[in-house]
Amino acid sequence: MAWTDKQRNVIDFTLSSLLRRKGKNAALVLVYTAVGFVLASVMLFTHALKREAGIVLRDAPEIVLQRMVAGRHDLMPSSYAGVVEKITGVSSVKPRLWGYYYDQLFRANYTLLVPDEFRYGEGDIIIGAGVARAGVTSEDNIMPFFGSDGKLVSFRVKEILPAESELVSSDMVMMGEADFRAFFNLPKDRVTDLAVSVANPLEVLTIATKIRQQLPDTRPVIREEIVRTYDAIFDWRSGIMLVILSGALLAFVIFAWDKASGLSAEEKREIGILKATGWETSDVLLMKFWEGMVISFTSFTAGLILAYVHVFFGSASLFEPVMKGWAVLYPEFRIVPFIDFYQIATLFFLTVVPYTTATVIPSWRAATVDPDAVMRT
Amino acid sequence: MILHPAILALVAGSAVTGFMIIVASWFGLQIIRKWDLSSGSEQQLGLEKKTYLISTVMAYAFGFQIISLFLFIHTADSLCSMFTGAMCAAGTLAVNSYGYPVFILKIANFLFAGLWLTLNFTDNRAEDYPLIRKKYFLLLLIMPFVLAETVLQAVYFFSLHADVITSCCGSLFSSEGKGTVQTFLSLPVGPVRALFFALAACVTASGIYLYGTGKGAYLFSALSLLSFFVSALALMLFISLYIYEIPTHHCPFCILKREYHYIGYLMYAALLCGAVAGIGTGMLQPFRTIGSLACVVPSIQKRLALAAVILYLIFTLFSAYKMVFTTFVLE
Amino acid sequence: MITLDNVRKVFNQGRPNEQVAVRDASLAVEDGKVTVLKGPSGSGKTTLLSVIGCMARPTAGRIWLGDREITSLPERFLTGIRRQTFGFIFQQFNLIRGISAIENVMLPAYPNGEKYGLLRERAGGLLELFNLSAKSAAKVQFLSGGEAQRVAIARALINNPPVIVADEPTAHLDTKLSQEFMEIMDRLHREGRTIIIASHDPVVYASPLVDRTVEMRDGEIIS
Ligand SMILES: Nc1ncnc2c1ncn2[C@@H]1O[C@H](COP(=O)(O)OP(=O)(O)OP(=O)(O)O)[C@@H](O)[C@H]1O
Ligand SMILES: [Mg+2]
Repeated sequence: MAWTDKQRNVIDFTLSSLLRRKGKNAALVLVYTAVGFVLASVMLFTHALKREAGIVLRDAPEIVLQRMVAGRHDLMPSSYAGVVEKITGVSSVKPRLWGYYYDQLFRANYTLLVPDEFRYGEGDIIIGAGVARAGVTSEDNIMPFFGSDGKLVSFRVKEILPAESELVSSDMVMMGEADFRAFFNLPKDRVTDLAVSVANPLEVLTIATKIRQQLPDTRPVIREEIVRTYDAIFDWRSGIMLVILSGALLAFVIFAWDKASGLSAEEKREIGILKATGWETSDVLLMKFWEGMVISFTSFTAGLILAYVHVFFGSASLFEPVMKGWAVLYPEFRIVPFIDFYQIATLFFLTVVPYTTATVIPSWRAATVDPDAVMRT
Repeated sequence: MILHPAILALVAGSAVTGFMIIVASWFGLQIIRKWDLSSGSEQQLGLEKKTYLISTVMAYAFGFQIISLFLFIHTADSLCSMFTGAMCAAGTLAVNSYGYPVFILKIANFLFAGLWLTLNFTDNRAEDYPLIRKKYFLLLLIMPFVLAETVLQAVYFFSLHADVITSCCGSLFSSEGKGTVQTFLSLPVGPVRALFFALAACVTASGIYLYGTGKGAYLFSALSLLSFFVSALALMLFISLYIYEIPTHHCPFCILKREYHYIGYLMYAALLCGAVAGIGTGMLQPFRTIGSLACVVPSIQKRLALAAVILYLIFTLFSAYKMVFTTFVLE
Repeated sequence: MITLDNVRKVFNQGRPNEQVAVRDASLAVEDGKVTVLKGPSGSGKTTLLSVIGCMARPTAGRIWLGDREITSLPERFLTGIRRQTFGFIFQQFNLIRGISAIENVMLPAYPNGEKYGLLRERAGGLLELFNLSAKSAAKVQFLSGGEAQRVAIARALINNPPVIVADEPTAHLDTKLSQEFMEIMDRLHREGRTIIIASHDPVVYASPLVDRTVEMRDGEIIS
């Protein structure tokens, strides 16, 4: 087909022209790639964090009920569960036991908790991958902990959690209820908080209000609110990063404009020759279009791949301190790789669209030289 | 305002498109006022060069437009968690009164840009550019819509504040309650389904007739336009139910999600491009009488008709496929 | 037959540096003949040649190619006609440096949308015709002046045009190469092509090959 053959021939010539001017184009591709890399890193990283948070909260109860004493989170009497259970619309209430532990030996924070069903016996624990790394331990090893009375308690590691989402489970230590109470010296009739499940999502707000009326010293934390807060915080952070980076983006656009309009004498001569020997303005524009496509595609893909490696295999080491702000210390922190059309389209709009726009007018200027111009040089 | 990367991308991208349209319209205006093909003056040669810039800019704007439409929906979808009661894009768009107008404008502008490019393509086949003033006049008419989209989209995003109670797609696109959308959704499924398939048959038949004989462009064009709206209605009214396999979920946005294998992209792209091609045949019909276009228009119309028929068939056959090969039973 | 009727080409119209490069020129170039445009520097030869060759549109006047009027065709169509009708040879050979001779020859045919393989074959045939087969893959900046000239001629012939237009083709060549050039023109003439050359080189305008000499001065055709 004539149309495809024409595209093929023009692309062929475009590629050879680009390769002939390696130096100039390499500079452009390099800057373009760097811009794409930074933007993509910000986006992939925040998106991944949001997703991790989503995974944490996916199985969370609709409402978590905490007891407040003197404005502070305090242990909750088990009897409260019975009160909440009687409210209509509540499908179940589960008392939960969990707490934090600082391991002086390895200088790491762990989250200790009692799961709904603990498969192992007394003195056994399940630990997260991060704990296993920090404590340099593996299955069937003994792990030492200092109890609230200062005495050494040893637990046997029965299982290490898989790393579907390390952010969630990485710092976890799970144990049976009796062990937990003994370890922290907790009274029998107290729990950490209550997990309240609600069947109909539309009733969550009403139920939360009712709980506060009946148990005034409690604070219901609604899951949707947490999700919203996390989302807002992450979006806001990446938005701020992008605003800061918009300066860089603008510089890039100006750079691209400059590169596109500052054609070398040689390039001008070439376009002049093409036009004189029978190329039409649209043919030259077509060539310029393919040129932009090749440069954009190369840089965009390179930037994206580099960012992917940086975020998911290099733990986003370049700006982790700015972006994470998550009150945990993870010895090694890996996010589960994730990328979708949405992020690619956003990036496309942030890089390819400004680049293309910046080059439209310079390309058009170059393409509309008079065909007879070459006869007068 | 919510500082979200995609929001920044959309606002910036649409500002760029708006800027390009303004430049194009400005040159278009000069061409409308001063075009004189018989003159060989430098001014005329300069104007001819500008037609290339306008075509290029419009082609890029058209490309950006379709990506921005999908990105917009996707952004709305990913923002829904911030608004109580919103469960997908439908809810986020309902947060304030700008969301749906922006969505409609995006679709309209895609169709406009597509039709303009069709007109431009046709005009460029004739040696005397007989439609030159008409097409730039059309461009001036399109410009306000594109600018309105740019402004309204910015206003929409700027006035988004997290945690506003909205209705989720379940309640917005469910057949209870009042409002225009609900009025349509309370239509009886049987007749609409019959209409949908009957129209598909008519579009195909008249398209093939147009392709074969070169006649009936107005009819085909009108049927395409009607079919566009009926297909959109059918999608919400019953096709979506077969895709989601949930009896009350009428949302037109969720089919763009991964859970449904992104099938929405194919269906929407087919429907939108089909509409451009189909409506385009009728738009070109009056220009058949222009001497230099007399043999150009029919061949373009034929190709457009063929494209429209194929694209609409993709949409229809896919819907039918979903309806036949499903375990879900309506009613 | 190419017919010009009162053609006028003005640069910088309406400005103080306005320049009338061609003044009311009327001319009929006959098919299959060799025509030479002759005149001092700045007399408007190149400008008239570019108007004849559909490279530039005249400011006023009318032009016919055969019996088709092409005066006010937009560039989009004019270029198509030019590509099929005219082959151009320039003073500086105007080859694109950095790519091979054969690619240079193929360039003017890219917008036609032909199969790459067929096109390459045709270009190879032309190079062979000019004894350049061995240089086909060589980068053009390494060719000698005579070779570069012949590559430029091969390029002008790639679309098999009925008319060859040359602007000062011998200005950069020594006498021997200039004569060789005229021999090639003779060959093309005998193939039935129309040849139009702008030159003030006696090797060209005094050649027995020339059917007609058009003299120009200050943008006007004086004979
Ligand atoms: N693009 C242009 N802008 C302004 N003036 C021009 C332009 N092109 C040509 N001219 C002017 O038009 C006149 C004719 O130029 P042209 O190149 O046709 O002469 P020529 O006969 O080919 O001369 P030479 O023998 O030196 O090549 C000259 O005075 C030149 O300065
Ligand atoms: Mg000259």
